Amino acid sequence: MDILLGGGEQLERGLAPEPVMAPAAGSLLLHGGLAALLLAYGFLGGLFHHSQWGNEAGGGTIQVKLVSSVLPLPSDQPPNDNVLATDMPSQAPAEPAAKEKQAVDTSAIEIAGQQVKPKQQTVARVPQSQVTPQQNNKAQYGEQAGSSIARATQAPTPVTIGHTAIGDADFGSRFGWYVSNMNQAITTNWYHQEVNSSTPKGSRVYLVFTIHRDGTASDMKFAQGSGSPTLDRSCLRALQRVDSFGALPSAYLPSSLNVSYYCEY
Amino acid sequence: MKAYSRISLLTALVLVTFLVPQLKAQDWVRTGTNLSNDRIRIAAADVKPVGDDPQTPALKTAFDFTLYSDLANAGIFDLVSKSLAPQAVPGSQQEILLSQWSAAPCNAAMVAFGALSVTKGRLIVYGWLDDARNTESPQVLGKQYNEEASLDMARTIAHRFADEIILRLGGGINGIAETKIYFVSSRSGTKEIWAMDYDGQNQHQITHLGTISMSPRISPDNTRIAFASLGSEGWAIRMYSLEIGRLVSFPAGVAGGLNQSPAWSADGKKIAFSSSRSGNSEIWAADANGTNLRQLTNFAGPDSSPTWNPRTNAQLAWVSGRTGLPQIYTMEEDGANVQRLTDGGYAISPSWSPSGQFLTFSWNRKYGPGAPGGQDIYVMDITTKRWLQLTHDAGSNDFPSWAPDTRHIVFERSIGGRTDLWSMLADGTEQHQLTQTGNNFMPNWSWN
Repeated sequence: MDILLGGGEQLERGLAPEPVMAPAAGSLLLHGGLAALLLAYGFLGGLFHHSQWGNEAGGGTIQVKLVSSVLPLPSDQPPNDNVLATDMPSQAPAEPAAKEKQAVDTSAIEIAGQQVKPKQQTVARVPQSQVTPQQNNKAQYGEQAGSSIARATQAPTPVTIGHTAIGDADFGSRFGWYVSNMNQAITTNWYHQEVNSSTPKGSRVYLVFTIHRDGTASDMKFAQGSGSPTLDRSCLRALQRVDSFGALPSAYLPSSLNVSYYCEY
Repeated sequence: MKAYSRISLLTALVLVTFLVPQLKAQDWVRTGTNLSNDRIRIAAADVKPVGDDPQTPALKTAFDFTLYSDLANAGIFDLVSKSLAPQAVPGSQQEILLSQWSAAPCNAAMVAFGALSVTKGRLIVYGWLDDARNTESPQVLGKQYNEEASLDMARTIAHRFADEIILRLGGGINGIAETKIYFVSSRSGTKEIWAMDYDGQNQHQITHLGTISMSPRISPDNTRIAFASLGSEGWAIRMYSLEIGRLVSFPAGVAGGLNQSPAWSADGKKIAFSSSRSGNSEIWAADANGTNLRQLTNFAGPDSSPTWNPRTNAQLAWVSGRTGLPQIYTMEEDGANVQRLTDGGYAISPSWSPSGQFLTFSWNRKYGPGAPGGQDIYVMDITTKRWLQLTHDAGSNDFPSWAPDTRHIVFERSIGGRTDLWSMLADGTEQHQLTQTGNNFMPNWSWN
């Protein structure tokens, strides 16, 4: 009984409201402290940089150098990836068409003294040739040289590039070799990979610049865009990569030369 | 007043516009990419002999022949054959009639002609290059040469003139007519180092060591040849000085093990070679005087035949047998960025092009029993790994070496029991045999 009744203190204690404020405050403090510690760790950790990403020695992004890999030899065929014999048409001509049967001339006068059998049936039987399919005079088989490496070398095109300007005394006809050197210099610095491959073939961007007496170029401007910004940019970059085109020919008197150059994709 | 001031202003403007002196008219040039890729049609006329010195005919013949073959070998010209060229022998700008040369059947775009004379033991040659379709100002080149009168100098002058023409018309790349090829020949009984002109002329012996010497490599300044030689201490890399005509010391090349296949960097400062002094054949490098020896590779399997990237001097291509059969790899000089280039077969003897973009090597893509395959020369574009096979069905081809113009390759061909040196264009055309006697191996084209 006493035990039962003696539990009054415990009851009292049990009935007494739990102390909530102190532990709650303590819990708040604890959680707040943890959160503050986390924030402080994040903040302070960020202040001291560790190279957790990438190669410390390298530093920076990987440099990819676009290279215009071109053998300086002329080529009759554009580069292609064919390694094996292909079914591209060969250059050899096709066999001559089969000779048609000689039709009998019905109006020919028969030779007297000989019984000539009537030949009408034979004439009628000359086969009516159906419409033969269009003869393509190229053999439909062949091998194409597998040559996937591009070539570039420029011939000194003497006069007609675009339209002739002022008659045949202009720079292009007098110094065709200088124009071809200039073409060569820009073409070898032009990286096709920079151009978006969805650019339509044949699109041209026209650049205009000035070459000074010492061969350096300046005042590069777009005269006509191609509709493809990557092509435009790559053509301008190609031009900027050229250090010098070589001194202007001494027989050319003015101090600079205006050039209109197009890059065709 | 208002109207008057407006009119006067307008008049003033008009006057200013029209009375300002005209600036000198500058020409316009309009050109672009993707123009024709044709060969330039050039006619090489015989030079006109001037004077009656008895040496003149022989020197003239040597000059004509050498100029013609240099232009034919250049790879960029469509040379007019002598039978189509006009019979005229113009000796000066006043004598040449360009309409003869630009008309059919000659149809030349360019004409090279000149005059040759011998006076008091001096050979004097005038050479011109004219644009046959430009009658107003045809001259593109005008050169004068004055050298001692001998057959060698007649050939040398022709080589120089051809180089000038190739430089001017070939888009700024120097011609190779004055370059040399160093090779190994056994025709004296032992394998020694020999040298010759790029067209096979003037073959002469350089070393007289009486032992086996291999893989000669000329330095970029044309003064020393590094080569591997079998001596008393085994295979060592030796250095021969062309200036003093004897061996000079190269301490790094002598050590235990097999030391082979030296390779100069393009600045002449470093030599890489393969050495098995560490037990396994690895690539080592040293300075050009033999000091500062360092090991570059430490891979399983044999590593040999290094070649430097002549543009950066910090990259190497070499042959590694880590996967079994030898394959071509590239890496930076410090061992980083190892890339494998060949995907199978048996690939050996890489040579890096002077433009830095191509490798040429010998490859048997179908190596193995029962597989039909030949050892052929290939050119590979390093960035895209596209390759081009240059030799087909003609013997076993090995040890290709680039010419400094990136247009020609010299290589060794074993066919019919003989081994000879051949040169060809970098697209596999125009293959010419350079050596005819003895057995000749391992050519190396000089740097300039």
